[in-house]
Amino acid sequence: MNEQEQKAFEDEIYAFVGKVVYPTTPAPDDINETMIRQWSEILGETNPAYLDADWAANSSRGHTISPPAMMYVWGQEGFQVTKGRAPNAMSTLVETFNRHGFTGVLGTNVKQDYMKESCIGDNISVHMVIDNISERKTTARGTGYFFETLSTFTDQHDDVVGTQRFKVLKFIPQEQPAAASDTDALAVPTRIPSPRGHDNKWWWDACDEGKVLIQRCKSCHTLRHPPRPMCGECQSMEWDSIESTLDGEVMSYTCLRHPVIPGYPKDPICAVIKLAEGTHFVANLVGCEYEDLRIGMKVKGKVEQVDEKTMLPQFYPV
Amino acid sequence: MSEYKTLTAADVSVGDKLQSTDIDISTGLVVCGALATRDFEPVHHSKAEAQAVGLPDVFMNILTSQGLMTRFATDWSGPEATVNSIDLKLGAPNIPGMVMAMTGEVTAVNGDTVDINILGENNIWGMHMQGTVQLTLPKEL
Amino acid sequence: MVANIKDKTVIVGAYNTKFSKSSGVSELSLAAQAVKGAIDDAGLKPEDIDGMATFTMDTNDEIEVARAVGCGELTFWGRSHYGGGAATGSLHQAVMAVSTGMAECVAVFRALNGRSGHRFSDGVSGAITTADAIHWGWYMPYGLLTPASWVAMFTQRWMHNTGVTRDALFEVAHATREYAVKNPNAFFHERHFDREEYDNARMIADPLQLFDCCQESDGASCVIVTTPERARDLRHPGVSVRGVSQAAAPDQEQMTSFYREEFAGIPEMETAARNCYQMSDLTADDIDAAVIYDAFSPIVLWQMEAWNFCGHGESGDFVLDGAMRPGGRLPCNTHGGQLSEAYIHGVNGIVEATRLVRGTSLNQPSKDVNHALVTSGVGIPTGGAILGKMN
Repeated sequence: MNEQEQKAFEDEIYAFVGKVVYPTTPAPDDINETMIRQWSEILGETNPAYLDADWAANSSRGHTISPPAMMYVWGQEGFQVTKGRAPNAMSTLVETFNRHGFTGVLGTNVKQDYMKESCIGDNISVHMVIDNISERKTTARGTGYFFETLSTFTDQHDDVVGTQRFKVLKFIPQEQPAAASDTDALAVPTRIPSPRGHDNKWWWDACDEGKVLIQRCKSCHTLRHPPRPMCGECQSMEWDSIESTLDGEVMSYTCLRHPVIPGYPKDPICAVIKLAEGTHFVANLVGCEYEDLRIGMKVKGKVEQVDEKTMLPQFYPV
Repeated sequence: MSEYKTLTAADVSVGDKLQSTDIDISTGLVVCGALATRDFEPVHHSKAEAQAVGLPDVFMNILTSQGLMTRFATDWSGPEATVNSIDLKLGAPNIPGMVMAMTGEVTAVNGDTVDINILGENNIWGMHMQGTVQLTLPKEL
Repeated sequence: MVANIKDKTVIVGAYNTKFSKSSGVSELSLAAQAVKGAIDDAGLKPEDIDGMATFTMDTNDEIEVARAVGCGELTFWGRSHYGGGAATGSLHQAVMAVSTGMAECVAVFRALNGRSGHRFSDGVSGAITTADAIHWGWYMPYGLLTPASWVAMFTQRWMHNTGVTRDALFEVAHATREYAVKNPNAFFHERHFDREEYDNARMIADPLQLFDCCQESDGASCVIVTTPERARDLRHPGVSVRGVSQAAAPDQEQMTSFYREEFAGIPEMETAARNCYQMSDLTADDIDAAVIYDAFSPIVLWQMEAWNFCGHGESGDFVLDGAMRPGGRLPCNTHGGQLSEAYIHGVNGIVEATRLVRGTSLNQPSKDVNHALVTSGVGIPTGGAILGKMN
C-alpha cells in the first residue's frame, strides 16, 4: 500500500467513526431469576446479593440485584448467530479491513463501567457505536489499527446502567515461518522431552514402555545413573541394566513456583529420590501437598502418561 | 446475615493480597459459560470451528472471563460491595485442560472505593486476563 | 604440586559499565565499553592489550572486541566453561598467560544482556543443540528447569542436615542489600528492605524466595591483568593475584550433582580453596574481606564453610554474628553482590575485590584490606582467587 492508497484506505475506515452498530434495542428477556441462577451455577458464583432473596431483603439494598457482569448478556443475539449475523456498521468495517489485508483480529481490552445496579424485572437496552479508530500502529502481531466500540446500556426508565468499551486490533498477520505447520499451531504444549542420543536413548525408550531401568556394569556390577558409556569404578564399557522397583526415599525436594512454564502442571514438585537399588534419581512427586513433604519420607513410583506425548516416572507418598 | 461478611474500607490496605484460587478450565465450563452468557459464537462450542481459527479446542468467551473476574473480587469483598467497573486486558485463550490461577492485590484505596489488580494466568500460555476491578465497600455496618 | 604463580601477575585496571534491565545496545558494545573502561582505568592504551579471557558462554569473539576497542596483536585468548563458574576461571586463564609470558596485558571481561536478552531464569528450555542437552534431559521433563530450582534442591537438604534457618539466608540478602543501598550503580541503590518484605516476596522454588535470587542484568565488567614490572608504571597501586584456582570434584554435574552419597555440599569449592590457599601461602585468617559469588543467598553460606571461615554447618551462626557487615570478621559483597548490585556472572565481583584491595570500594571497611577473596559460581566446576596489595 503506497502513501496515497493508505490515505484513501484510512479515509474509508475513519468514516466509520460514530456509526451506529446497534440502535437502541431492548433485550428479548427482562432480567430474571432463572438466567441469573444458571449463570451463577456455571461460573461458581455464590453471591447472595444475586441469589438469595431472603438474605437480600435484609441487606442494605433490600432486594437481589443482577450480576453486573451480566449487563451485556441480556441483549445478546440468540442462537441464530451460528448461521451468521445481519450486516451492520461493524461487520462492514471488519470487511473493509479484511479486503485490504488486515485479516487478523484480536480483542485486546474490554472495560465495563457500572452506574446503576439492575434488578429482576428490569429491561436492558443496548446501543452500540464505533467510537474511535487509532492511527496505524506497529504491534508485535503485525501492523494494524485498533478500533473501539462503545455500548451504552439503559433500563426501562432510560437511566444509564452502564457502558462497555471493547477494543479490537485488526492487523496484517505476519508471515508464518515455513517450518510452522498447521499441526504445530494446533498443538497444546507438552513437557520438554529429553533429546535421545547414544548414551540415553535406550533408557527413554524403556520409559516409554513403562519401565525405569538402571544401568549396570557387566564387569563389576556397579549400578549407575544417569547412564554413561564407561563404568567409573572399573572402566568397563560393557553394561546391561536392571529394572527398578521404584521404591524410594526422598533426599530433597523443591516446588517450582516461578516462572510458569508452558506444558507443565502448575507448581510441579521435583525431588531427588534414593531408589531401593541405591542410585539417586530425579522425578516428580505427585498426589501430595508440598507442605506434607519431608526429607526421608518413603515414596513409590510408577511410569505414567503425563501429557499427550510424554511417559514419565511419577512418585507418590507411600 | 452473619454468614456473609463484607469488608469495609477500614479492613483494607494497599498491598493486601486476595486468597488465590485455581480454576479448572473444562470443556463444560467453556461451553456452558458461553451458553449462560448467550454467546453462541461457534468458536466457543464447536471444536472444529475453533480449530479453523488456529486454536486446538474451544476457548473461553470474554463474558465468562469477566464473570470469573468479578466473582473473584466479590468473593473477597463480600456481597454488600458494589462493583463499579471492570477493566480488562485480554491475553492468551483459556482452553479445556488448562488451569487458570487467579491472584489479586489491592492497589488503591480512596475513601470507600478500592481498586484491585487481578491476574488470571493459565498454566500453558500464561496471562489470560489482567486488569482492575473497582469496588465500593459499605460504610461501617 | 602447587602452581607457581604467586605474585607474578597484577590487576591494574577494573571497570563496570552501567548495569540495567535493558542496555539498549549489543553485548559487543557492552564488552567494548568494559574493556576500554578498564584500559583507561589502568592508564594503558588499547594497543597494549595482547590477550583476552572470558567465558565460553560469552557471545563476543575476542577478535571482535579487539577490533572494536582498537587493540593490536593478540597473542593469547582463552575461555572458561560452566556459566558463573568461569568468573575467576577467566582470571585463571589470564594469570597463566601473563605469568608464562604468553601475553603481557590480558583483558578479563564478561558482557551480557542478561535481562533484555537471554534470561537465565528462562531455564534450559528452548532450542538446545549442544551436548549438554542430554544432561539437561534428565531434569527438563519434570520441570526442574531453572538455576533457582537446582540450587533449591541443594538448599532444602543442606538446611535439613544443618538446621540452618531462613534467618541466615535473610542475613546474607540483607547485609548485601545494605551495601547496595550506597552504590549508585546497583539495581537496589537507596532501596532498603526489611524482613517483612523479604518474607512476603514471591516464592520462586521452595525454599528460595525472590530476594534469595540475584538480579538478571544487562552490563559488562572487565579487569586488566599484567606483570608486576609493567604494573609499577601504571596509575593505581597494583593488586596482585596471590592465588587462583579452578576445580571440579568427583561425580560433578553442571548444577545437578545429586548423585553423590551426600549431595548437600560443594566439594569442588573445597578443592579450589585448598589449592588457592596453598598457592598463596595464606589461610582463611589472612583474608580481610571477600566477594563471594551470590547468585542465590544460600550459596554464600556454603562457600564460607568451603573456604574455612567457619566449620561445616556453622555458616549460619557465622553470618548471624554480623561477619558480613562493615565491622564484621569478613565484610562481604560490599558492592551489593549479585543479589543487589547486578548479575554480571561474578566479574563485577573481581572488580569489587580489586577495589577492596586498592581501598576504593564504596563501602570500604575501616580495617586494612591486605587480602580479598573472590569466588566463582556454585554447583558447577568453579574456582576462586585471592588478591592482595602488590609488594
